[in-house]
Amino acid sequence: MKKKLLILPVILYSIFLIICPLIYILILSFLKSDSYGGVIFTLTLENYKELFDFVYIKIFLKSFVIALVTTLFSILISYPFCIFLSSKKKIVKDIIMTLVIIPFLTNSLIRTYGVIILLRKEGIINNILMSLNIINNPLKLMYNNFGIIMGMTYTLLPFMILPLFASVDKIDKNLYSAASDLGANKLKIFKEIILPLSIPGLFNGSLMVFIPCIGFFFIADLLGGGKLMLLGNLIKNQFLTARNWPFGASISIVLIIVTFILVSIYKKLGGKMEDLGGM
Amino acid sequence: MNKKILLILILLFITTGCTKKDNELNVLNWSSYIPDSIINDFEKETGIKVNYGSYSSNEELLAKISTSKSGTYDLIFPSDYMVELMIKRNLIDKIDKNKIPNIKNLNKNYMNLEYDKNNDYSLPFLLASTVIIKNKAIIKDEINSYNDLLNIHYKDELIMLDDQRIVIGLGLLALGYDMNSTNINELNEAREFILKIKENIKLFDSDSPKNYLISKEVNLGVIWNAEAALVIKNNPNMEVIFPDDGFAISIDNFCIVKNAKNKENAYKFINYILRGDIMAKIISEYPYKNVNKEAEKYLDEEYLQNKAANIPDDIIKKGIFVKNIDEKIKLYDKTWASIK
Repeated sequence: MKKKLLILPVILYSIFLIICPLIYILILSFLKSDSYGGVIFTLTLENYKELFDFVYIKIFLKSFVIALVTTLFSILISYPFCIFLSSKKKIVKDIIMTLVIIPFLTNSLIRTYGVIILLRKEGIINNILMSLNIINNPLKLMYNNFGIIMGMTYTLLPFMILPLFASVDKIDKNLYSAASDLGANKLKIFKEIILPLSIPGLFNGSLMVFIPCIGFFFIADLLGGGKLMLLGNLIKNQFLTARNWPFGASISIVLIIVTFILVSIYKKLGGKMEDLGGM
Repeated sequence: MNKKILLILILLFITTGCTKKDNELNVLNWSSYIPDSIINDFEKETGIKVNYGSYSSNEELLAKISTSKSGTYDLIFPSDYMVELMIKRNLIDKIDKNKIPNIKNLNKNYMNLEYDKNNDYSLPFLLASTVIIKNKAIIKDEINSYNDLLNIHYKDELIMLDDQRIVIGLGLLALGYDMNSTNINELNEAREFILKIKENIKLFDSDSPKNYLISKEVNLGVIWNAEAALVIKNNPNMEVIFPDDGFAISIDNFCIVKNAKNKENAYKFINYILRGDIMAKIISEYPYKNVNKEAEKYLDEEYLQNKAANIPDDIIKKGIFVKNIDEKIKLYDKTWASIK
């Protein structure tokens, strides 16, 4: 009985703050907008049909490409880092991992403003490169897709590093020596040992980077100069400017379905659900 | 230890219970529109406690008013088209003008406008207008029309408001159409026009476009006049242009929410803000176009000389209101999605 009481807060939390809002969004997505931000209680599939318009399909595609590139970038940065760190002493690992987590303590919006100070025309990077005479004209580091991907990668990198490191660190280091004794080079060790054994962490990290990436509208606004509309921006606009909540809700539902599909692909590939939650 | 915590909790309950509910005013306003010092002075003078909340778009305001319990808010500041919409939806109450003697201070040019013919529901607070702003030192060509912004030499020099009605409206104006057009062909043409201009646009921003102009990240822009006025204050090389094609104007208004609990206090607040000296203080801090005759006596030279802030009435006459277009807003939203 006592045990049941202990999980009660979690159950209440899930019901009121996750399940109820989701049901609300689901119902909303089948209703008609009254174009004043309210709804008319007639069931319709209009909101979903609308999504098949080429304009919106393009936004879906653009968002997925940005999210995919961001995920690839974070993988490329995280693997060498994790492999390097896993060979260090425990105290070093602990300190470095704490450093990775520290940025989480600051709001990501504020960190994005930090990125702006680095990347803008008269920003730190351009100023240093210009004063060293490496470049003559400031580089265009932001207000384009590069800026968006940089910002997303920076913000979401810890989500890749944490699960990936957990996987890489678990690998028995003796395997590396055994492999190199048998003549395997570094690339082969990575391909035959590290990669297969760290797949759960890799997939976990990829999901944790890919999914928020689609929703981070403020990064696309601030670092992309508001020139690229991603799914997150589209949803935000439906609620805040177009006064079309049902359409916003239907996009959100489609996004949730996409997330489910990604997770089920992961399961099909042999991934365990526990690996997604636990690090 | 536990007793201490309990004691603190009890004290908290008692103190929260103590706050007087009867002498309050719940104001919901645009962020950075009325300086805190003015709110504090009002509280000191009247003993009314002002609870001040903010919003950043008319649609956010609409959502807040239509979803919150009636009586949550007393005084709000919707723009012209939103006033019309809120009257239609029965969200705001008639204003008892006898309770606001300072109404006489208002400039008659900005009263009895089409969105609220007799000012039964709203009183003008201040006026904003979109302007073209350019850095004379860098952009030497003359600019009189939105078509001039297409110049290929302005690549990455342009900033625009991140606002679909304003930007698409600008395209419509450039092509000689009505800024509030809902004709699909005209909207498509406007989209093509904006896509061409987009080659020159470095960024869209509505929050604080002035920063990018002050830091010279961009040297040309279409922004609200108050922001432009602050840019000019910072850099005298900046110049404002009211294009021949036309430009958007918007008036923000005092409105009292239906079933407001503190109506009397709301009247007192409106009357206080409409005092010439108080309005002048607000206007010098946030240099929008003043619509208060009495305030003109108190405004300093800096404001009066600033062409982006103190826009002559005959120029304002050429401005066009963004109108409520009901469900046709979907057309704009889709056009906007395909522009970005």
